[in-house]
Parts: sequence; C-alpha cells; structure tokens
Amino acid sequence: MNCPRLKDWFGERYETAALKKFARGKVLPTHRYDLWYYTGGIILFLFALQFITGMLLALYYVPHAEFAHKSIIEIVTKLNMGWFFRSLHHWGAQLAILALFVHLFASLLLKSYRKPRELLWYSGFVLIGIAIFFGLSGYLLLWDERAFAAVRVATGGAGALPILGGFIKAFLRGGIDVTGETLTRFYAFHVAILPLMTILLMVLHVLLVQVHGMSVPLSLKDKTLPQEPFFPNVVYKDLAVWLVLLGIVVTLATLLPPEIGRKADPLAAPPEDIKPEWYFLFLFQTLKLFPGDIFGLNGETIAILLISLGILGLFILPLLDKKSSRGERSPLFTAIGICYLAYFLVMTLIGYLS
Amino acid sequence: MKRVIFFLWASLLNVPFLWGQEKEKAIEVFPSTPYYQYIVYENLVIFWAAIIGLLIIIRMKLKEIERVQKLGLEDEENMASHK
Repeated sequence: MNCPRLKDWFGERYETAALKKFARGKVLPTHRYDLWYYTGGIILFLFALQFITGMLLALYYVPHAEFAHKSIIEIVTKLNMGWFFRSLHHWGAQLAILALFVHLFASLLLKSYRKPRELLWYSGFVLIGIAIFFGLSGYLLLWDERAFAAVRVATGGAGALPILGGFIKAFLRGGIDVTGETLTRFYAFHVAILPLMTILLMVLHVLLVQVHGMSVPLSLKDKTLPQEPFFPNVVYKDLAVWLVLLGIVVTLATLLPPEIGRKADPLAAPPEDIKPEWYFLFLFQTLKLFPGDIFGLNGETIAILLISLGILGLFILPLLDKKSSRGERSPLFTAIGICYLAYFLVMTLIGYLS
Repeated sequence: MKRVIFFLWASLLNVPFLWGQEKEKAIEVFPSTPYYQYIVYENLVIFWAAIIGLLIIIRMKLKEIERVQKLGLEDEENMASHK
C-alpha cells in the first residue's frame, strides 16, 4: 500500500519530509534488557483499547444509582456482543495496570529514573496513580454489592489520613457515605477527568522519551551498543507484540467474562470474604497487619501514614539516589527496589490466597 | 402440649416451601445457548489463526528489511532508484 498520490497531497501541504527524516533518524540501542522497552508500547496499546471499549460501553451505561446495575445487565444480556465488549474492557484494565506495574519496576531496577529523566519518572508515577483510580472508579460503576463495599473501604481508608483525610473522603464520596452522589462523581472521573489527565500526561511522557531517548542501564553505559532504527524495525516488532496482546485480551475476555453481583444496597451488611481488586491487595494486606490500637493511637491511621510514606519515598527516588544521577552504580537503591518489588509481590500473593 | 405440637407442625409446614425455593440465579455473562457458544469459540480459533498469519507476515517483512539494511541501502525505494 504505497498511495503516492496521498503522499504527494500531504507533502504539498505539510512538512512530511522532516517528520519522515525524524522517524528514520530515531534509533534504539539493542542490549540484553531492551525487552523492557516494549512495556511502554504495551501500555499505550492497552490504553487505546480501553478508550475504544469504554466509549462503546458509555453509549448504553446509565450513571444513576437506580439504573446503573440494570443497564450493565442489559449491556451484557441484551446487546449484541455487549458481554464481549464489557469483558474486553475489564481484562484490558487488568492487563494495563499489570503492564504499568511491570514498567514501573523495570524502570526502578534499571535506574531509568536517573538524571536527566526525573520528569519521566514523575509523570509515569502519576499515571500509575491515575490508572489505579481509573480501576477504582470503574469498579464502582458496576454498582453491585462487592463494588459498593470495596469503594466504601477504599474511601474510608483515605479518610484515615491525618489532616487531609476527611476532605479527601468527603470529596470522593460527595457526602458522608457512598451513595448515588459517589456514583455520579466516579462516573465523571472515569469518563472525563481521568481520560483527559491521562492523555495530557501520556503526551508529556512520550514527548520526554523523544527528547531524552531510551535509557540505557548503568552497567551498559560505557559500552558501544548496536543501534536499531525505530522505523520500521521497532515499529514492526511493536506491532507483533500488540497483536499477541490483543489475542491474549480477547481470549481472556471470551473464556473468563467477569461476574456481576447483586445490586448494591447501602443498608445491607457487606458481603462476606470481601476482597479488593488485585492491585489493592498489597495495601489491604498491609492494613490487616496493624492492630486497631498502637500506643493509644489509631492503628489504621498509622498504617495509612506508613504506606503513604513508602509511596512518597518511591516517588522521590530520583532525588534520593544521588549516585546513579552521577552515573555511578548504586547497589543500595537496587536493593531498595528489590525490597519494594518483593513486598508488593508477597503481599499481593498472601492477600490473594488468604 | 397442644401448642408445642401446633408450633412444630407449623414449622414443618414451611419445609417443602424452603426446598422448593430456587437458589438465586447468577446473571449470565456469557451466551447460554450451545449454538452461540460454538460460534464464539470457533471465532476465537479463527482470530488466533489470523494473528499467527499476521505474525508470520511481519516476521518475513522484518527479515526483508534487515536484509536490505545489511546491504547498506536505506529502503526498498532507494534500492529501486539504484537499479
């Protein structure tokens, strides 16, 4: 598919030659860790998939406490392929968050956050926060008893933060408790505020990657690495990865469509053995480790404070790791990164199995 | 005694109704008819066959690009102009 007339049409009006030159001039280093470069592309693809399936679902979803649950049942049972698109949206979200965590830990352990890529780390970190809030807000839109209880616990946990907690809780809930107001708010976040923020941050993140180029691990920094053209070589490889990923998402959506529980009843007791989504399990399990009262202080507040400090520590890692900023090896921060990863994996596993 | 017997009888009277009560049905999130299910699974297999086919085409294309690059030419268009 060459389309010379179309090329000429654009060429006469826009500077396509400069764009072509830029794309052809862009090269990527090839080394034993270059596999991790593809995780960024995977996230981009999954976000695009989420946008498409989300738009399709939004055509039929009714964001009202009385009708939300019923509208989802109708999407799944009455619409042609409705069950499939809902399932695709669900599994796309799960894999996107998984890919984001993999990308985060790969960047952490390969020290991709080091100078001059600090802004890349910060923008990526905020994107993970947004993606998790995407997950939480999307979960409530189901308006079933499990989602209702999970959001009550999550927003209640945020409320345990000192000083700002009460405001955050009230802001998220739109009142004292999780109600129809919360559903309206979460819908607004899910379909308008968060997508806009995601697009802006993703554009910034991708632009920063273009400015700085791909990060090379410290151990390979002084070696002369072979280069590979981004266009067309890496583009074709990216396409192949996306195709396999699409196959995986479609297979999961077909074989494991997500369940729909009973409609949420704010007055009913929460269902037994309730667990949050897998990406909240490490937080959930950490909260369970703390007793209700520690030296007269609220155990939950202390737990939330420590978790917040841990997350903040990870966020400001480029400021703390001075050695890698100078281009020197920093085994201490590698060990810290491994500890973070191990803690996340172990706690998630314990939370899943318990 | 009469009251106790009456109470037991009244309680037992409810048992058949309890047995008859169906367990709350889960909402069907996947097509329930075998015909539709067959179509879904068949399409999944066709989908994977198409993906594998596309992967083979991409692999072939990539090999060709690498071969041309090894020759020291930028792309096929340039190669054509060299001829």
